[in-house]
This record gives sequence, C-alpha cells and structure tokens, in this order.
Amino acid sequence: MRLKVPVLAVLIALVLAACAIVLAPGTSYALQDRDLPLAGSSVHHLAGTDALGRDRLTRVAAALLLSMAGSIAAAALTTAAAAGVGAMAAFAGEGVGWAAMLVCDVFLALPWLFLLMMVRSALPLNTSPGNSAEITFFVLAALGWPACARAVYRGALRLKSADWMLQARAGGLKRMQVIRHLLPNMLPLLVPQFLISVPAFVIAEANLGALGLGVGPPLPSWGGMLLELDNSAMLLQTRWVYFPVALLVAVLLLLEAVAVED
Amino acid sequence: MSKPAVALLKWVARTVAIVLLVITGSTILVRFAPGYLSDAREMDARYAGVARAELSEEAARSHSLAGLVGAEIAGWARGDAGISRHFGVPVSELIRPRLAVTGGLLLRSVLLGWALALCGALMASLARRTSFLWQVPATVLLAVPTAAMATVCLISGHGGPVLVMALLLAARDFKFLERALRTAWLEPHLLHGRAQGIGTRRLLVAHVVPALVPQLFALAGLSLVTALSALVPVEVIFNVPGLGELAWNAALNRDLPVLLAITVIMALAVTVSGMASSRSQEWKSA
Amino acid sequence: MRFPGRFACWILIALAAPVARICAAQAATRLPGELAWTIGYDPKTFDPAKVDDQESEMVRYLTAGVLLRFNRHTQEVTPSLAESWTVSQDGRTVTFRMRQGLKFSDGSPLTSKDAAWSVRRVLLPDTKAPVAEEFVSPAGVTVDTPDASTVVVRLPKRVVGIGKVFDEIAIEPAGRPSEGRVTAGPFVVSDYKRSQYVRLKRNSYFAARDGSGNQLPYSTGVRLDILENPEQQIRIFTRGGYDLIESLPPDYFELLKKTAPNTVRDLGAGLNTEQLWFNQAAASPLPAWEKSWFENRAFRVAVSQAIRRDDLARVAYLGHATPAYSFISPANTVWYDSKIIAPHTDVAAAKAGLKRAGFRLKGTQLVDAAGHPVKFSILTNAGNAQRNKMATLIQQDLGALGIEVTVVALDFPALIERMMHTQDYEACLLGLENVDPDPNAMMNIWLSSSENHQWNPSEKKPATTWEAEIDRAMNDQAVSANPVVRKRAVDHVQQIVADEQPFIYLVYPNVLLAVSTKLQGVKPAVLEPQVVWNVEELRTEVGR
Repeated sequence: MRLKVPVLAVLIALVLAACAIVLAPGTSYALQDRDLPLAGSSVHHLAGTDALGRDRLTRVAAALLLSMAGSIAAAALTTAAAAGVGAMAAFAGEGVGWAAMLVCDVFLALPWLFLLMMVRSALPLNTSPGNSAEITFFVLAALGWPACARAVYRGALRLKSADWMLQARAGGLKRMQVIRHLLPNMLPLLVPQFLISVPAFVIAEANLGALGLGVGPPLPSWGGMLLELDNSAMLLQTRWVYFPVALLVAVLLLLEAVAVED
Repeated sequence: MSKPAVALLKWVARTVAIVLLVITGSTILVRFAPGYLSDAREMDARYAGVARAELSEEAARSHSLAGLVGAEIAGWARGDAGISRHFGVPVSELIRPRLAVTGGLLLRSVLLGWALALCGALMASLARRTSFLWQVPATVLLAVPTAAMATVCLISGHGGPVLVMALLLAARDFKFLERALRTAWLEPHLLHGRAQGIGTRRLLVAHVVPALVPQLFALAGLSLVTALSALVPVEVIFNVPGLGELAWNAALNRDLPVLLAITVIMALAVTVSGMASSRSQEWKSA
Repeated sequence: MRFPGRFACWILIALAAPVARICAAQAATRLPGELAWTIGYDPKTFDPAKVDDQESEMVRYLTAGVLLRFNRHTQEVTPSLAESWTVSQDGRTVTFRMRQGLKFSDGSPLTSKDAAWSVRRVLLPDTKAPVAEEFVSPAGVTVDTPDASTVVVRLPKRVVGIGKVFDEIAIEPAGRPSEGRVTAGPFVVSDYKRSQYVRLKRNSYFAARDGSGNQLPYSTGVRLDILENPEQQIRIFTRGGYDLIESLPPDYFELLKKTAPNTVRDLGAGLNTEQLWFNQAAASPLPAWEKSWFENRAFRVAVSQAIRRDDLARVAYLGHATPAYSFISPANTVWYDSKIIAPHTDVAAAKAGLKRAGFRLKGTQLVDAAGHPVKFSILTNAGNAQRNKMATLIQQDLGALGIEVTVVALDFPALIERMMHTQDYEACLLGLENVDPDPNAMMNIWLSSSENHQWNPSEKKPATTWEAEIDRAMNDQAVSANPVVRKRAVDHVQQIVADEQPFIYLVYPNVLLAVSTKLQGVKPAVLEPQVVWNVEELRTEVGR
C-alpha cells in the first residue's frame, strides 16, 4: 500500500499538469504555426511542433487527457464485460456456457472491420471530432471482450470445482456471493487484460482513422502521434516524435504500479 | 458410443455451427459495408466502363442476401471457395501458398514469444526487486504500435516478421504469466516448502508449473488472437506473402470470397485453440 | 533460486541464434544486367487487350510491340513497328506502312495480318478491351490489309489524337494471344510469382537498334517486385536492390535527399491536380440550404479565396508542389493558358463576397441569410498523408471566415460509393491523374452528361448556362482538326472553370523520383511512365 499513494499522486499530478497546459491562456492544440513545421524545442514550443506547426506539448497534453480517459474507460468496460460473460457462462450451467463460448468463437473470427465501416457510414459526416472519438472508444470496448472472456471462463470453471468453492456452495452461499469471492481470484487474469487493453485501444483508435472513425482533426490523437513512428522520414526529422510514446510508457508503468496486489 | 467419440462428434457439430455462423455473419458484414458495389477505377476514364460492367454483374449476383449466403454455403459444402472478385482466380489458389507462409510465421513467433515470456516471467517472479528490468521493456513493446515496431526493424535492418510478432506476444504473455507466477509463489504450500528449504527447481517442476498448465493453455487462445491481429501490419510492412496481407487487400477491395475463406480459417484456428485448452483442462482434472 | 534464473538465461541465449537466422532479411536475387523496380500490386491481367489497371498497363508498356509510340519526352507520336503512318484529310482513314523483316519474340514473322488481327481483337465487344472506347464508336471501325506491309484502319468519324490510341494496342501473333509470353516489344513475360514479382526477359528479336546499330534493349530483363510499402522500397533502393522509384512521397524524397542526395530528382509540377469541390448534385440527400450554398458561385469563390495555396504546397508537400488555379498544369506547355484570371488568396475579399451573398457572422460562426450555421465536412481518402494535411490546413483557413469544417478520411471504396453512387457528401478533396496532356482525355470530367462530372454527375441536360457552355466548347475541340480552334476552345473552358470554381484547384504536386546513379540512359519525363518510358535504352552499370 505504501507504494500506491505516491504513484497515484504522480498520476494525478500528470493529469493536472496536462490540464494546466491545455487550459493555459494563449495555447491551442489546433493553432498552426505554418512557418515552423517540425521545429525543435524553443521558448514558444517547449517540445517543438508537429508537421503542421502545432505545438507538440499542448497536443500531447490534450491527447493524454482525451485518449487516456477514452482508452481507460474502454479497457475497464471490456474487462468488466469479459469478467461478467466468463463468470456467468461458467456458473450458469453447461448449456449457457457452451452457447456463450460459441458466441465468443464466432465473435473472434468475424471481420469486424466492416462493422466499423458501417458504423461510420451510419454517422453523419459532420459528426464532431469529440463525438466520433467517444463512439470509437465505445465500439472498441464492445468488440474487445471475447478473447478474454474465454480465458476467464476457463479460469472460472477451474475455480468452480476448487475445494473451497464446493465447500462454500455446499454451505449455502448464494450465487452472487460466490461470484464476489470468485472475482479476486480472477484478478491475475483481469488486471493484465486491463493494462494491455489501454495501449491497445490508444493505438486501435488511431488505426480506425483509416475508416473515418477515431479522433478527427483538429483534435489531437495520441494513437495518431504514435503512428508517426512508422514513418522513417518523420523519425529523422525530430527526436520529439518519441515524446508521446515515452509518456504512454510512463503512464502504463504508473498504472501497472497502482494495480500491483498487496 | 464411446465417450471420446461423443466428444469428438460434439466438437465437430460445434465447429460446423461456428463455420456456418461465421460465413453468414461475414457475408452480411461485407455485403452491407459501404463501398461493396464501388471501384476506384470508376474514377479513371480509361477503365470506368469495364469497372462498371463488373460492378453490375456483382450487383445482380448479390442482389438477394439469402441467395448470396446460400450460394456461399453451398459452394463451401462442395469444397469450392469461389473465385476472387479482385484477382479473378480461384480462392484456393490464392490461399494455399499463403497458408503455409502464415502458418510458419505464426508457429515460429508463438513458440519464440512464449519462450521469451516464460523465461522473463520466471526471472521476474523470483527476483521481485529486479522485476522492473522486465516490466519496462514489456511495457515499451506494448506501447509502440506493431507497425512502428516493424518499421524500426526494417530501417535498422535487424529483425524480421518473426521477431516483431514474437516480441509483441512475449510482452503480452509476460504480463499474464508474471502475475500468475507471482500469485502462484504465494500459495501457502509453496511458502511452506520454501521455508523448509526445498529447492526452487523441485518446487517449480513439481508444483508451480503443473498448477499453471490450464492457465497457460487458456492464455494460448489469447495469444493466438493477438498474433492473428498483428499479422496484417507485420505482413504488409515486411511484404510477407501471407494471409494477413491477402486479408488486407481483400478488405480494401471488398473481395467477399477471399474474406470468407480467411474468416473460416480464422474461425477454425480459434476453435481448435479453444478445444486444445479445454482438452488440457480435462486432462489435468483427470 | 539460482537454477531457474540461470536456466532461463541459457534458454534466452540458445534462442538468440535461431532468432537471428529466422529474422535475417531476405535478399532479392537480381540476374546480371537486369533492371529492377517495384509495382504496387499484382497486375490483374497480362493480356494486353484486357488491361484495366495501372500495373497491368506497366507490364504492357514494357512488353508490347506497338505500331506507334507516344514519346513521353517530346510528347509526339512516333512510328515503332510501323515505318510510317498517314491520316486522311477527313481524319477517317489511318494507313500504316509496316517495317520489313519484323519478328515476334518466338522468331515467327510479324506481318500486317498480325497487326490487323490485334486491332480487330481490341475492337470486338467480347474482348471487353477498355481501349476500344477510345475509338468513340468501335463497332463502326474496319481494318484492312491490302498487302503484307500495309494496314488501313477506317473510322466512322474523326477521333482527335487517334495516333496515341495505337500506343495502347499490342501487336500479337494472329490467332495466338499469349498474355505477354510472345511479343514484339522489348521484353516478354518470363516468370510470375503472385504477390512477389513479375520477371520479364529481353526479346532478342526486338526490332529497334540504337544510333550505333546495337540491338536494343540494353538490359537483359526487368524484375518488377510487387511491393506497396515505401519503407521497404526505399531501404532496398538505397542498398542498390532497385534502380528507381517513381512517385516518391515528399517526406521520403526529403529523407533520400539527406541520405543519398545524388539519386533524387524533382521535375517540378506534373500534370496531376489536387482539388476541392462541393457537391452540387440534384439527387444528393443534403438539406436544401446547404445545396444553395454550394450552388452559389460567390460562396465557392470565397472559399477559394480563403485557401492559402502557398501554405498547402509548402507545409503539406514540403515545397514539392506548385499552387494551382486551373485544371491544366504549367507543365503542359501546349495547353496551359497563362492568361486566365482566377481567384487568388484574399481573405478580405472572401469576407466581403460572403457578406454580399447574404452570409453574416454570428459571434465567430458564419451563418447564411436564413440563420443556418455554415458547417460542412471535407471528405478525402485515408492513407494519403498530403491530402489529409491539406484538409487540416484548409480547416483552419476556412475557420478564419467563420466556417466550421470537419475532416473525414474514408477508404477508397467507401469514398467512391458516397461520391459516385449515393452522393451523400458535402465537399471532397481528391486528386486527378492526367496521363495524357491532351485535354480531350478529360472529356469525361467536363461533359455535364458524364458520370465523372464530379460536382454534379450524369446531368440529363446542363444544370447551368456555364456548364452548357463548357459542353459546347469541349465538343468543339473534340471534332476540330485545327489546333488553333482547339486551343481557343480549351482556353475558354479554363476561364469558365476559373470564374465558376466548380473545382477549386489547390496544387499541382511535383514529379518526384529517385534514380540510382548506376542507371544509365535516363531521360525522365513528367508523363508516365516517368523514368522507364525509354526502357529499351536503360542499363545498369553492371549490365554493360
């Protein structure tokens, strides 16, 4: 527990700093300084500028708030859904379990890319970038659970036949109570799933930009900044392109430290 | 009928049901995705006429969804996956050489990834003070997009598709394994054993690993799904002529027959991995 | 405690060796004297008559023997398998005199019969040859062979630029179409591995010789690697695996300029244009007030005036583009009209124009006369970094007028569906590739009845008087044999387009190439194929 307080404090400080940078007067994540594209560090632009001359620090700060909120919420949702479906399937009887795992397998194989395209075509083209981001993270959460649900199901089945569980059930513990005791035992599976989902969703959001979903311009997309790393021409321009990925690693390590069991 | 025969029959029935559902679902998704009846060549004066003729043929073929799904299922029942809409050659001809390429890539990267993850997790769980030495690289690997990792390998001239996929899998599996192992070492009987001075090696072989086997198999399913999703960027960037690259092309060209073949293969892979993990569980409980 | 750590270490070390082996980059094999470069995807066909995509066209260009060749450098039609050719006064009879002693790559003789058979095959409806449409009414065309070295093609009516059409018709052995395996061009298809490469080998019977009488082509063959990823392409190019890269993206051009400055060439503005247009289709599901903005000339002109094209060229293209105001690029010296008057960047004029047209500012938001806030989306294709950057720059430019713009990138099929079928979009930012400098090739864009008349496709009759005027002028240039009359008509269309701004031209992207210093005989042209148009004269140093 000793570790968690300072770690949490650092995380909160990071978020507050990001808020301060975004809200500071005279800064804007959208404003293009067209005479200074891909500039290095300077008094006006501490972390330089991006390809369109926008202040990188402000954009990273705004993206941190936006993408972190979105991907953490989506990761929590998808992990909860996986836990819920997996545990229910294991405890609700063989038929339900069989059907649930069948659905999971079908879900894992379907080409969801096309569903995302349909979502895009159902949305009006002038959907605001913010709404588009919200919808994208929600869709990602809705599609991310089956693989983990399958693992949870297997784990829950094992626990179902564990001695303490048999004893508890024989002792008349209600189903909800059983599940309450089950969840802490599933944490070694659920916590990594959550931690892995966060960066995966940050990146997935950016990949969905190819379908017209995701965080639209001029809003900054953290994933979009990470994807700059796959362009060698960009990598040679300025070292500041590594800044977003470094920050993401830091945030993930902090989250990891928070999630350590006592 | 003997018990294994019934189990096998059940598994076959389940697999057939999954394949049918996947064919139906994929057909619906692809057919109704925007752009199914459009072609970039429509913009080009030289090719627009031919492109429009092909599109109207496809529009007639796919006019009734029930008919389209029926035709695809009937084709598959005959063992005929159809003709690629984009390449104009039988789908089987496209898939066969690529299946071997992708299969080899997946197998090698899953094995390598697992070995790395297991070694890392063992060392991290035993020496907790230095576990950050493993956590940091694993987190970096998770935070860098697969495409970027592949590009960095490409630019540096070191590493290839297997390494990128293996590192990605290793990073993800490490997160699970490290936690599972750490929890496992805290089991009362192991603490007791260690306190009594029983060697780590004996505890590991006799208690820790066997207890983890079912979890490992459940994770194998997860790994496979991760590997499949990383296939597309890795194959596209390294120009590996595999199924991922074909799937990407087929998606961009709305090539329904090719997409169906690939999704059926994915469904089979997922089902087989699922079966392997449940068999292992039964084997363990037996 | 010691065991697992040491054990794991040993496993890791043991793994390192196979990993290095597994991951070793595969080196592509290059035959001696062979040229090598890349194409983006598998050619859909090797049958030269059925070519309906760019990469198949590349293979046809390299393998096909043609009666006439359109020289990409001088932009003139020159005889190839034909020794000479004439067009009758009325433009309806084209007569070719074939060269003597021609042979196909298998050694069999090539006569007028083969040429006539090949032209007839292209004209047959069953062949579905896209090039047939260039004869305007292919069904009425007849082909005769009065003797073994003469071919006479009779057309029902004059076709402007008929010579260039024969640049696209491969002469094949009569009755033996071979999908590029037997040709009269510089190369023949020798090997194809799907998704990996197409290999062509030298045609030792190719008729052309250089000034000193040496047999062409110089190179022993060509390997076209099927590769889409620019990173791979550049890596292999810098290691000497490829001889050239065409259509380099500007950022990679800059990268190569740093690492291999002797290889990159910027040929200046090409023939292609990048443009923005508003959806004016009557059938579009847009609300009436939005349609009224887009149909309003003053609105389109104001948007055009607000866009800072210099910034687009400088920031989105890193300086490798030229601001555009017309559909004909200054690179097209014959047809470009330097005197047209088009709206240039002038934000104050744009604001005044909008005010006159009844638009006003409500706070920072522009609203129309009825009070509807002016906001729309700009559609573009995903994966094109320059277009996405331009759209974001335009978003800020139009923000200065109080217009709220959303940028949406879609994959191509989804984009085409909206643009050409459902017409469910507001504005679109795309490019137009011009492979032919003659504006007659753009008839499909300008005729109001055409499906590619993007801002309002397939009009039953011209929706506006200026569109009717464009129709008339384009039809005039299409039937006239007089170059002066044609030029005047095309200049007129350029001025109407500049006045009405149905397409708001943004930039002409520059032609950016990388050519290996070992490649000899290169004379790059702005027309495609830019580097290999004279492939028979190209050779690598090792191949000499």
